[in-house]
Amino acid sequence: MSHLKYMLLVSRQAKVRLMQWYTPLTPKEKTKIINDLMPMILGRKSKMCNILEYGNHRVVYRRYASLYFICGVTPEEDNELLTLEIIHRYVESMDTYFGNVCELDIIFNFSKAYDILNELIMCDGSIAESSKKEILNNIKAMDDIEGNNHLDRVLS
Amino acid sequence: MTSLYAPSAEDVKQRLRPFGFFFEKSLKDLIRGIRSHNETPESLEAFLEKQLSECREEANSSNLEQKTNAVLKLTYLEMYGYDMSWCNFHILEVMSSNKLQQKRVGYLAASQSFHKDMDVLMLATNLLKKDLKYGGSNDTFKVGIALSGLSTIVTPDLSKDIVDDLIMMLNSSKPYIRKKTITALFKVFLEYPEALQDNFDKFTSKLEDDDTSVLSATVSVICELSKQNPAPFIKLSPLLYEILFTTDNNWIIIRLLKLFTNLSKIEPKLKAKLLPNILELMDSTSATSVIYEAVNCIVTGEMLDESDYDVAIQCLDRLGKFRESQDPNLRYISCVLFYKIGKINTQFISQYDTLIIQLIGDVDISIRLKAVELLKGIVSDSNLKLIVSTLMKQFVDKEVAVVQTNRGVTKEIPIVIPEDYKHKISHTIIDLCSMDNYNNLDDFEWYNATLYDLSIISQDFKDTDIGIKLGDQLRNLMVRVPAVRQVTITNIIKICSLEDIDVKMSSILSCCIWSLGEYASYLENGDALINLFIQRGFKYDFETQSVLIVALVKLFSHWCNGGNVVVEDVKRMLLNITTFLDKLTHSKYFEVQEISSQMYEIMKLCLDAVEDNQEDIPMLLTDVVPSFFNHYELTPIAAGTQMQLPKGIDFDIDTPFLTSEELDEVIDEQETLADEDVDIYDSDRFSLSSTEDNHYADNGHYDDGSSGEENRDDFSDTYKEFTDTYKKEKLSNPFYLDESSSATQETTSRDIFTTDNDTEERILNPIDVVKLSKESTSVPSADSEKSKKKKKKKTKKPIVLADQIISIPGVPESDVISKSNASISPSVGSGKITLSKHTNLGDFQFNNPSNETNEDDEELHRLREKFQQQTLSDNAEEVVIIKKKQKKSKSKHSKKSKKKTKESADEEASVGLLDLDDKNETSTT
Repeated sequence: MSHLKYMLLVSRQAKVRLMQWYTPLTPKEKTKIINDLMPMILGRKSKMCNILEYGNHRVVYRRYASLYFICGVTPEEDNELLTLEIIHRYVESMDTYFGNVCELDIIFNFSKAYDILNELIMCDGSIAESSKKEILNNIKAMDDIEGNNHLDRVLS
Repeated sequence: MTSLYAPSAEDVKQRLRPFGFFFEKSLKDLIRGIRSHNETPESLEAFLEKQLSECREEANSSNLEQKTNAVLKLTYLEMYGYDMSWCNFHILEVMSSNKLQQKRVGYLAASQSFHKDMDVLMLATNLLKKDLKYGGSNDTFKVGIALSGLSTIVTPDLSKDIVDDLIMMLNSSKPYIRKKTITALFKVFLEYPEALQDNFDKFTSKLEDDDTSVLSATVSVICELSKQNPAPFIKLSPLLYEILFTTDNNWIIIRLLKLFTNLSKIEPKLKAKLLPNILELMDSTSATSVIYEAVNCIVTGEMLDESDYDVAIQCLDRLGKFRESQDPNLRYISCVLFYKIGKINTQFISQYDTLIIQLIGDVDISIRLKAVELLKGIVSDSNLKLIVSTLMKQFVDKEVAVVQTNRGVTKEIPIVIPEDYKHKISHTIIDLCSMDNYNNLDDFEWYNATLYDLSIISQDFKDTDIGIKLGDQLRNLMVRVPAVRQVTITNIIKICSLEDIDVKMSSILSCCIWSLGEYASYLENGDALINLFIQRGFKYDFETQSVLIVALVKLFSHWCNGGNVVVEDVKRMLLNITTFLDKLTHSKYFEVQEISSQMYEIMKLCLDAVEDNQEDIPMLLTDVVPSFFNHYELTPIAAGTQMQLPKGIDFDIDTPFLTSEELDEVIDEQETLADEDVDIYDSDRFSLSSTEDNHYADNGHYDDGSSGEENRDDFSDTYKEFTDTYKKEKLSNPFYLDESSSATQETTSRDIFTTDNDTEERILNPIDVVKLSKESTSVPSADSEKSKKKKKKKTKKPIVLADQIISIPGVPESDVISKSNASISPSVGSGKITLSKHTNLGDFQFNNPSNETNEDDEELHRLREKFQQQTLSDNAEEVVIIKKKQKKSKSKHSKKSKKKTKESADEEASVGLLDLDDKNETSTT
């Protein structure tokens, strides 16, 4: 079915910074997944692989500084290496956008982080935009329009 | 901000808003608030509740700016688990705003919260239609946002309404819109497959789009759609094929490979064209993810035949490089693919045994877990011991992983081995050894020791199935490998006498105890064992107890017939057993109650007999009781055989087995044969049992004591009765099936049981048949054990008995096997979260014409009215903020101030994500 099941950004203190679910789940199931996964992932050492089995799906995660980027993928159908690449692409995009992105940027501009994620991963996680330039151009264009909107209003 | 007249406070606020001055709590304030209330969960809870009620008020405000702010905050709070579906109508308002920024917030909130609220979705349809109208250059992103929003909240009805608009938009001049439309169409097609049927060509023409993003999106969508239903896309193969070998974009290549995987499953012709090219691609590319996908495509796309060694070797060679890689992810993936290849033909991977054994020792437990799954493919009689000992070591060894940190310092980190891994290895060890009816195993003494070790180790595991499995193995060894029974039974006794075994792994006991009872003839000091069980028996669970009761009697009967036993001891033992059984008759479990009272009565009779006769062990004990159990040697029977038995077999129980004349003859004959024993037992009490004994004692030790003339009528009656019950009992007991194992034998014995007017020769047959059946079975009996043991020294591997499959006319064998499989395979995966989602496309028939034209116009109208009542006419347009710049500088500010004040956790949070990305770059694309 869909490529990604969810994308979670969780801090090392197991605080959720951003979550995007691409499959319909009840809040209870969502909490269960987060609560189950975090100890599993936090317990892993840096030399271990970034793929683990959980329930009926596979989890690909990657740690950047204090943040864990966690993706649920469908085994047999998804390319785990590509998923890692998508995560990396996301971080790179945010890095370029915010200029040396850090966890605080994501906390305070979480809607921007969502915007970038939505430009990168479309359509319930099944499609990913591969061009970082394209993503950033779009985000920037949108920001410009917003800025123009504001300017228009002030001037009028 | 000066003014000519004194402005009211409200006025000032209104005027300041455009410049980004808020007087409500902004999202930033909220986040800061959350961070400062972090000390206790209670204070955080209280703070969030307060915020939530504020948001509720703000969301109701007439000011769209405020509303947007509230919705944004609520979206944030949703991450803390606060439901926001109550404000769906407010979200809709924000979505309908003309300002892109507010629209974005609205659509973001909608994608998080609109999943099931049908009322709102109905209204969203109109809004979406409006937003999809492209009106000028600045609208590109508005449309884009609407399209992204659409893909998250789409429903079948919504799709139906919107699909025509979308198809029109495929021809947009903007690649961005084309791309977004394609992705939105994907969701629409899933919900409303008729649309794909109608617009197939228009949609697939986008495969020839100039823009890479659009092409990539189209390929992705087709790939995803083909997962659901590959058939309609087969005709695109030539075009897709061309793209695959012309594009240099790895993302597209991977997608295409996935797509071909799906297509090739249903169109085997593709293989011939694709396979050589994919192999070539695999060799030419440097991207590991492409190699991975290529191998996956070959394997999952069913392009690898069982006999296709060349291709397999080529794939495995590439994977070999992965396996030696420093990157644990590549090692992991190589295991996954290895497993898939091995599944096609285990021969492919069998030569990689050393590498796989290496992987079992990987520092990463999840790689080990995967590698352990591979073992079944590579195990052979030569490496079994090595594999098992490697695995066994992992139970005990404290392993250390040497890690090189960034500064070149080596550090030793202990590897924590989780219980589920240990659990898995114990299962794997058993599976490996018992594979193909112990085909790879030749040293059963070693296996016994391994089982013993496992049962010690596994005592600490939480779940009990390993105990059941171990018990099963021990019982299997007992039954199937006659040559090592002596060793196995010693092992079983060792396990049974372990302290606390009944607490820690009670599940192993019932099989062990059964084996002890069944093979009690191998034991010399059964009394010690009986005493042990009598002491501990009360603590066992009821299933074990019900097995134990019978086993006790078996043990006892063997012990008191084993020679050099004093009558006094027998009496004492009987007293012990009867007291024990007597207590169990009060058990709260019915099964235990029943069996214990049956056995209690028998033992009681024995006790009486012993008390009557102080000098000798009574015949009841020497003959009758053993005859309960020693009738047939057990053989392993294929699972499911019992189900094969015809139901409702009729027995002729009315015809007397022997006519009275015939009976006279028999008795006369036997009286002359065995005269000396006649007078010892003449009490009526024993008549029944000793006549049974007459025909069923298998140790050849029969006498005819009680069948005097006055018992003649009794005899025939009780005999019939006995025959009948015995037969029934045998039918219901899976371990006593061997009677029917050879067809001829069965018919003869049946004849005897059912016919009455045969020749004299036949009349004497019951005894003969019993003896004959023992000789004719291929199974070595306890008597022929010694000869077996001698044989063993000559041949290397002891004989392992295979399952007997008993064929019964009228029931096809395959049926039996499938039945048996069905009965064995456990139900898997219950109680786990299922992330699967139903779509309409999977089972959609492309050839059927669409016929649904159901409109819920009325309902929509009603809802629209409802909505209008709720919305306050609100178009406060004067509020403008220059948020962008403000935000940037503010966030920088906050970062700096934060750094000074906050503790380490925050400092960590402010470290650039890419800075500390500890060199785990993938070399993917």
